[in-house]
Amino acid sequence: MKSVSELWAYRNLTYNLAQRELRSRYKKSLLGWLWSLLNPAAILAVYTLVFGYFFSAKAPLAGNGRTDVFALYLFAGLWVWNLFNGTVLGAISALQSAGPLLNKVYFPPACPALANTITVLLQAMIEAGILLVIMILLGNVGWMLLLFPLLILCITLFSVGIGLALSVYNVFYRDVNYLVTIGMNVLFYATPIIYPITLVQEKSMTLARILELSPIAQYVQWSRDIFYGLTMPSTTSLIVVPLASFAVFVLGLAIFNRKSRDIAQEL
Amino acid sequence: MKAIEVQDVSKRFRLYTDRPGSVKQLFTKFGRPKYEDFWAVRNATLDVNEASVAGLIGHNGCGKSTLLRMMAGIHFPTSGSVITRGRISALLELGAGFHPDLTGRENVYLNASILGLSRKQTDVIFDRIVDFSGLAGFIDSPVKHYSSGMYVRLGFSVAVHVDPQILLVDEVIAVGDEDFQRRCLDHLAGLKASGVTIVLVSHNLAVIGDLCDQVTWMDHGVIRDSGEPTEVIANYLREVNADEAERLRIEAEVAGLLPTPAKATESEMVDDSGNTVEFGVTGQPINMRIALPEVLASEEHTYTLMIQTESGVVVGETEMSVPMAQPGPLAHGYTIRCRFDPLLLAPGIYEGRVRVHGGTTVRAEAMRDFGFSFRVRAESSPPGGLLRLPATWLEDNGR
Repeated sequence: MKSVSELWAYRNLTYNLAQRELRSRYKKSLLGWLWSLLNPAAILAVYTLVFGYFFSAKAPLAGNGRTDVFALYLFAGLWVWNLFNGTVLGAISALQSAGPLLNKVYFPPACPALANTITVLLQAMIEAGILLVIMILLGNVGWMLLLFPLLILCITLFSVGIGLALSVYNVFYRDVNYLVTIGMNVLFYATPIIYPITLVQEKSMTLARILELSPIAQYVQWSRDIFYGLTMPSTTSLIVVPLASFAVFVLGLAIFNRKSRDIAQEL
Repeated sequence: MKAIEVQDVSKRFRLYTDRPGSVKQLFTKFGRPKYEDFWAVRNATLDVNEASVAGLIGHNGCGKSTLLRMMAGIHFPTSGSVITRGRISALLELGAGFHPDLTGRENVYLNASILGLSRKQTDVIFDRIVDFSGLAGFIDSPVKHYSSGMYVRLGFSVAVHVDPQILLVDEVIAVGDEDFQRRCLDHLAGLKASGVTIVLVSHNLAVIGDLCDQVTWMDHGVIRDSGEPTEVIANYLREVNADEAERLRIEAEVAGLLPTPAKATESEMVDDSGNTVEFGVTGQPINMRIALPEVLASEEHTYTLMIQTESGVVVGETEMSVPMAQPGPLAHGYTIRCRFDPLLLAPGIYEGRVRVHGGTTVRAEAMRDFGFSFRVRAESSPPGGLLRLPATWLEDNGR
């Protein structure tokens, strides 16, 4: 509890660190902020080409009953993944690169990771915003979009919890970084993001069940429900996902606080 | 009220020395600890009162900085506890956390927030920070274009303007030019006057002696001495001097040179009524009696008494020539006397060195210096510097 109030006291630092990262990120680049749009656009294009065209994966029909653009179906899941991936990997590198500073000045060691989360969150908002604009243009919107703030809060809490816990272990064992890189790759393909879960269900129901256990799969499903399919997530999911997200956050923060007490000397 | 309480604090670092160099080593060394324990601080207990200045001195690597970092909360003690009351600002490195691509202005806000200030609080002190740093003309350029001096000036300026209740300073005033150093010291003195608790780590003993209310001397992680600045500094210097003398002696011995400035067998201070006293008093007459061991002198010889401070600054010399009636060895254990009237030395601990110069037939060992040490105290307010200058004053009222 003390650590939370301390983080609150240092909120200005977190904010400034985030600002520092954002300000220095696109300095001396001609396109500047456009890069934060071009990056996901390029990835989206590649996935659409490979999976939508080469593998001819079909998207289910959207909530308005007309649209079935694979790229949009993909994007509705991809921004969720980007938020999770960016937060976790960012937390690990943020703590590591804050080492020299933590050796000079005292501040809560979670600040750099949280600052990174803010920048990733901003990016996620932009991506989700673009998705929303397109959906409005296509006339594919519904009142379940009101769940969006809850969704993004849940993903953030979950990702920050995982990121903090992993980042502190990475300080003691650098292997964590390599393991996470591999784990992230596996998780990405194990989560029905670039393919619909129905594709797996056709092959094996058991495997589909297992894949649905992926925590990310739930968030992706929520995002597709509210942005694409225009349905409500199941009641169970509506109860379990926020609770689980919060629990992961608390647990991650607890692990971080216990292990980071004397972290400066290890960095 | 105590601002900082350090209670029986120890700090262990693990030095990871034994990295496996090969796959084979990885297996043969498997299971053995790959680190050595290093105790940077051991069982240190120290209190710093509110609104006082505490100095930490000691040789490099004695644990001063580790102790300071534990006060700052950067390191957590392995055992014991550190309690601090009030907002801490630590100056361990100036401009820590500056981002090279950001402008001076942006970095001031960033740095202030690292030290725990809100944006509004920074707004209030921003102009003062820029004024003090003297960088108004460059505040909107990226700091990577700054010279190292400008960088440090801005860093210091931020650190001292964040209005800390406890300020921890680690040798940072050693950087920067003379002008900057003086401004730093002036500012620290100002903070002290305004009731800020300051802990200062420095090798500059003059600064420590000037600013501090208490001094702690650390040696290999252990607190050797703590208390009155002049005494602790004197004790510290005595050991440093002894170490240096020992080193010089060993070096001279190794080089086959004449070793050992011998100790005078006995020295005492005698007041005018013939009583032995513990110390001389500034402004009062004093007699020094120095007993020398066997000396062979020639027909004519000269004694030189040189007086220096503990840190080795020579205060002055006095000489006496003795025309010798009877050539031959001087008696065993004879004494010389030297009278100062009045004694002009300022209070402190001094070292005297007597040297005997002969004409022709002085034996080699008689060429040695005979050293002894003595103390001077003040009866009234002590004069600054090394000497009370003898002078006659006249107040001219203009008529």
